[in-house]
Amino acid sequence: MSECQHRWQMTNIQFGFVVFEKCFHCNSLRTYFSLEDIPILGDKYREGKHFWSRVENAQSFRFDLQCTECNHLEEFEDLMGLLYCTGCLPDCEVEVLRKKYEAERTWVLVAFGHLPQTTEEPIPSHKLDILTEYFNQKRDTSRSTIKIISFNLIEDISRCKGDFIHDVGMLSMEPPEERKPLF
Amino acid sequence: MTTQDLIEKIGLRPLSKFEHREVDGVFISDMLSDVMAGAKSGNLWLTIQTHKSIIPAANLVDVSAVVITGGKEVPEETVDLASKYNIAILSTALATFELVGKLYGLGLGAD
Repeated sequence: MSECQHRWQMTNIQFGFVVFEKCFHCNSLRTYFSLEDIPILGDKYREGKHFWSRVENAQSFRFDLQCTECNHLEEFEDLMGLLYCTGCLPDCEVEVLRKKYEAERTWVLVAFGHLPQTTEEPIPSHKLDILTEYFNQKRDTSRSTIKIISFNLIEDISRCKGDFIHDVGMLSMEPPEERKPLF
Repeated sequence: MTTQDLIEKIGLRPLSKFEHREVDGVFISDMLSDVMAGAKSGNLWLTIQTHKSIIPAANLVDVSAVVITGGKEVPEETVDLASKYNIAILSTALATFELVGKLYGLGLGAD
């Protein structure tokens, strides 16, 4: 067990796109990171029992965190994005935690892994703690702090209206319309 | 240099409710991912983006204020969310280039 009081720094930053695909047959959603823009062509393709079509490309980035003291590297290739809770489901555990932490000036964000893998294997809690540590190390914590929690606390993902901190529609000169729920 | 100083010296218009704080450097980007990867705590973030998603991004990296340039209208929901997070939204009719010149003249840089 390392005794290092890690000081995290973002490294291996790659800008790219989070691609969202939906199966029009069973409504499954999957996401992956791509370094290249993949246009939303409306084309569908079959893969096993699924018929995938792209529903969104969001400009995003991926990164790892490295400790500047001991060089320990923590990889975050499995992190799809961070979502902020809009308080859509009053009984959702995320909303309950959000209210509780906000009273202490701690802002809650939900970490999402790539779908559908993350539903089987959510991002491990030690990685969420490292993300929390990283964002708090960068900020003036006397004013407020950040808490990153796991998406599997969301009560009903199909009704969640949380919003990803992604760049949607940034390749267009047209102003982005109101975002539609992805789930 | 504080957000209060910038409002007084450059005439930036405060839109949200917030507590004034120190400004430490300037970051310019219209991409949330760029801001999350590169902005530092205390930075003044200059952008033309007005979607409410700028607020969680600004909060995550702890910028001192978001300045909307070019006189763009800021939706009420963006302002409301900023007030909730105690994030300063300031607006100006100045183009980003002109504003950067004024900020540089006041001693602020890309820190």
